[in-house]
Amino acid sequence: MLLETEGLTKRFGGITAVDGVDFALETGELCSIIGPNGAGKTTFFNLLTGVLEPSDGRIRFDPPGEGDGERRALAGGGSGSTDSVLDITAASPDETALAGIHRSYQITNLFPTLSVLENVRVAAQASRGNDSWKLWRNVADFEDHYAEATRILERIGLAEEAETVTENLSHGEKRSLEIGVALAGDPDLLLLDEPTAGVSSEGVDDVVALIEDVAADHSVMLIEHNMEVVMDISDRIAVLHRGELIADGPPEDVRGDEAVQEAYLGGYGREGSEAAGADSEGDAADRDEDAAADGGRRASAGGESR
Amino acid sequence: MVVVLYMGLFAMSFDFVSGYTGYLSFGHAAFYGTGAYFVVLAANGQVPGIPGGTPFMITLVLGAVLAGLLALVIGSVSFRLTGVYFAMITLGFAQVIYELIRSWGYVSTNPTEGATVSGDALAIGVPYVDALSLDVGRLTGESVENLLGLGIDLSATVVSYYALGIVVVVCYFAMQRIVHSPFGRVMIAIRENEERARAVGYATYRFKLAAFAVSGFFGAIAGGIFAAYSRSVAPDGTFYFLVTADALITTIVGGFGTLAGPIYGTLFNQGLEDVLSTESGGIATLLREGLPASALEADLFGVSLELFVNTAVDGRAPLYLGIVFVLFVLFVPNGILGTLRDRLGGTVGKRLPDHLRRYLR
Repeated sequence: MLLETEGLTKRFGGITAVDGVDFALETGELCSIIGPNGAGKTTFFNLLTGVLEPSDGRIRFDPPGEGDGERRALAGGGSGSTDSVLDITAASPDETALAGIHRSYQITNLFPTLSVLENVRVAAQASRGNDSWKLWRNVADFEDHYAEATRILERIGLAEEAETVTENLSHGEKRSLEIGVALAGDPDLLLLDEPTAGVSSEGVDDVVALIEDVAADHSVMLIEHNMEVVMDISDRIAVLHRGELIADGPPEDVRGDEAVQEAYLGGYGREGSEAAGADSEGDAADRDEDAAADGGRRASAGGESR
Repeated sequence: MVVVLYMGLFAMSFDFVSGYTGYLSFGHAAFYGTGAYFVVLAANGQVPGIPGGTPFMITLVLGAVLAGLLALVIGSVSFRLTGVYFAMITLGFAQVIYELIRSWGYVSTNPTEGATVSGDALAIGVPYVDALSLDVGRLTGESVENLLGLGIDLSATVVSYYALGIVVVVCYFAMQRIVHSPFGRVMIAIRENEERARAVGYATYRFKLAAFAVSGFFGAIAGGIFAAYSRSVAPDGTFYFLVTADALITTIVGGFGTLAGPIYGTLFNQGLEDVLSTESGGIATLLREGLPASALEADLFGVSLELFVNTAVDGRAPLYLGIVFVLFVLFVPNGILGTLRDRLGGTVGKRLPDHLRRYLR
């Protein structure tokens, strides 16, 4: 078991955004998290990455093999580290990142005035132990940071834009770079929060191809509104509704689940995929507007606090 | 022009933390003052454990280390806040220290007026090696005759200028090195997007704290060389919040987030101030002496031009500096160096030769 939550709960005042979620993820899985707006999906991610502290419940993370002794020391935070399992319930975002959980954001959240290469490079630098504390060495001496960053840029198809200032990228390219920055930390678990948000219909294919490529050698959790995409690429689908996990299983099972039909899919699979596809696209657009009204970046920090 | 050196260095240290991590340190005067007071008190033998005759270079570094520790203390509380609240709490800390120093009888018999170095001149150079040290100070500095047998004589002020200049250049290169290290890149990442910096695995709090300490260290060096040169320190000239404001203004004029920018900003401001000041060679003197009598008596909206010069130009430098500052913020928001870099498309050192070559052809 790579990741396991137990009765994970987050309350904002009187509102329970995530309500007693028991969830587990196997290494190598691609699991999509779906649910209507305000279901608590992003809040769930924020809990996993330590942006928010759970009101209740536990999160355990068991990163596989290589050199995790050092990682464990870096991640600190964990109390029950008698075996190889990390308790990251109360860990901070940087601790979960060093433990091996990296994420991309629903609303583009990059280093805007830095070059594309530097965005990825600085993220790669973070996972290389004490390098960041070397005040006296020139950054150009650390060739492996650059090599890693260049490798990732090639993978996400932005190698030619390496020197471009990030804020000048197109929206689709920024979405890819979001994933690239998350990849740079050499994650064991990758959390992708609506990677296709706002991407044009032609662009979606590129992003989906990238996700499938990344999923081949990473464990991925994906929040996605585009049902076509979700049904197509997921090994497993978990459905959140009002903070509760109402279904969890392979795509076929979830598609047929009564409660899911009721809560979210609105008849997907019964009335044909066309209508549902259009529907979910409308959803994504709505959500973008919401986020913009909330004031851009803040919205992703606060997540779905409804 | 010596003022450009120590104020420039101070502004650089301010820019180091404010321009690179994005946290405005409005209490930076606390570090400048710590450095200045430490040097003066150490020279007078008033610091416990440090005998009176300890070389200036050693007390300078000790004062800077002390300021770095002070920065850790202030930062450990202040970095729990962000944005304007961070600026306000650091300002608060500095003002508390300012009031404390103003009324601390141990410093001198009249703490409001500050303290003065009573002993020998302070020397910049290699400690304990007389031949490699130069006394600095407005009146007490060493003058050098026949420099290295080249037949060049240097006056006391000029010697001080170069001696202080060496310290500033060394500090500049040190900070430059840190800015271009992996650590410096993390500072920039924090400025650009602190949330994401945390998400990729940086414990930003610790990085900010370290940057603040380094900044405090160099801020105190600036204060220390100021004290060595002026040989006296007053709370109003060191710990007061307007000292920070000076650094802020020159940093914005020179270029926020460019390490050398503050030096140019200070040079620009001091140059302008000198031109507009009453003292020898100012523009008011020039107008009074250069213009023919008829022009001076010419009627200008009911007053003579001479009267106008006397009231509106003479000694009104702050007024015009204020206007220049407003114009800078409005029209050159990136400052002198920042704008230059934008125009050239890279750092001046890398890009300027290409551009010049184009004109030479």
